[in-house]
Amino acid sequence: MRKVAIVGIGHSKFGRRSDASLRELAFEAVKASLADADVALKDVESMVVSVASDEFSFSLQPSAQIVDYLNFNPKPSFRVEGACASGSMAVRTGWMTVASGLADLVLVVGAEKMTEISTPIATEIMGKGGDSIWEYPFGLTFPGYYALIARAHMARYGTTEEQLAQVAVKNHHYGMLNPYAHMHKEITVDEALNSFMVADPLKLYDCCLISDGAAAVLLASERLAKKISDKPVWIAGLGLGTDTLSMTGRRDLTTLSGAVVAAGQAYKMAGVKPKEIDVAVVHDCFTIAEIVAYEDLGFCKQGEGGKLIEEKRTYIGGDIPVNVDGGLKSKGHPIGATGVSMAVEITKQLRGEAEPGRQVPHAGIGLSHNVGGNGQHVAVHIYRRED
Amino acid sequence: MEFQDFSLSVKDIKVGEFAEGLAQGKIRATQCEQCGTIYYPPRHDCPHCFTDKMRWIELEGEGRLISYTTIYVPPEHFTTDFSKQAPFARFSYHPAPVGIIELENGARVLGWIVGVKPKELQVGMQLQPEPQVLPDGKVTIMLTPGD
Repeated sequence: MRKVAIVGIGHSKFGRRSDASLRELAFEAVKASLADADVALKDVESMVVSVASDEFSFSLQPSAQIVDYLNFNPKPSFRVEGACASGSMAVRTGWMTVASGLADLVLVVGAEKMTEISTPIATEIMGKGGDSIWEYPFGLTFPGYYALIARAHMARYGTTEEQLAQVAVKNHHYGMLNPYAHMHKEITVDEALNSFMVADPLKLYDCCLISDGAAAVLLASERLAKKISDKPVWIAGLGLGTDTLSMTGRRDLTTLSGAVVAAGQAYKMAGVKPKEIDVAVVHDCFTIAEIVAYEDLGFCKQGEGGKLIEEKRTYIGGDIPVNVDGGLKSKGHPIGATGVSMAVEITKQLRGEAEPGRQVPHAGIGLSHNVGGNGQHVAVHIYRRED
Repeated sequence: MEFQDFSLSVKDIKVGEFAEGLAQGKIRATQCEQCGTIYYPPRHDCPHCFTDKMRWIELEGEGRLISYTTIYVPPEHFTTDFSKQAPFARFSYHPAPVGIIELENGARVLGWIVGVKPKELQVGMQLQPEPQVLPDGKVTIMLTPGD
């Protein structure tokens, strides 16, 4: 297999983007990625698009809208889907396209427009992302699924609502420093604890945002990467694991077994250990998800995730800075864009180009953890600055 | 809103007999006749043996509460339409908690928790799964403190 590097990154402003359509959002990110790599779209041989949901876009072929608007035809392009991990599936597919030798320069773009519909409808669409026959009829929503995980984790390990709130406080803190983030607002533990209940024990500030946005990366073969970029970031490891759609089908609600599998594959492929990771972005769709991710990725032992945030060890200056871009929690979560946005963030960190106050010093190895659904698909990618 | 607004609608699938069982007061799983694995929710096909030779077995006894939640922000089709309410009407929403229990044979059952105050819920407590036929004829499952 050939080595693959990220040579260009682009990111739209995330947020309630009522000023732009899906295709226009994607265009913003693609334009920035081409400028960053200093290449033209005519040099791109193949394209992978991630849009997670037909329901949010009200169309059967949202990816074709994006491809047409870029005037990319008749070159190869297609859409991949893995719920909220769609973006990482697109990065993985782009990596396969380059590693296999099918192309030397591939554009990966993820986009989603979610705010055109009301929160109750969005809640219904996402609730049906779970088992729509057997579990959704019990009123289960996405916060509901993660509330079941949170309650089980609290009961077994003594994880507290304060610790959940501390995750939100950290991610809002770093989101303030990210100009592309949806929300720029510092919050306190008390504000988080006193926000309204969504699905007990998860409150408003335990839940990520519903956002519009897009992100893009350009992937290149080793030969091309060294020619066109003086700071390529290498994709060193990829892992992908899965778990049941049904919450009753799982033996343990305190972990995402797909994440453990994915992390194992990615660490092995990259030849690195959890303690060697300098910076990580994890899928904090809910605060409990970040705590579970710490454990599933081996940043701490099972059950000690709550303590890790309580001791601020996932802030910059701690053992392992996590979500210093604001995370899904504050940067926002346009579901199809999120995985690609994670690749953009890690590339920025490894190049040393993150905004002041949120750059991890001397970051050489980065990790992304992207969850689809309530754990059905988990993608873990490891990136390296050094060749 | 009360829990009657929610129901399982599983009559038109291969394991549709499950709904008939609920109407008769039975919560049933399927068991593969070849490998003996018990499936709940019931499956028509065993993914280990790739056979559809399955038998129905009744789930009995109490189970241990694995986790629970109360959902205060419901999805669209479970919400009451505020726009149709009279002016100055008061809207009061009291969702029932939902939980997952694990029975002795390992089957995990999801249901509405009825008859326990939310503040008294605790992971590990024993609850009894009970079918319930709703006024509209649809069926659902409750988890209750039993006798």
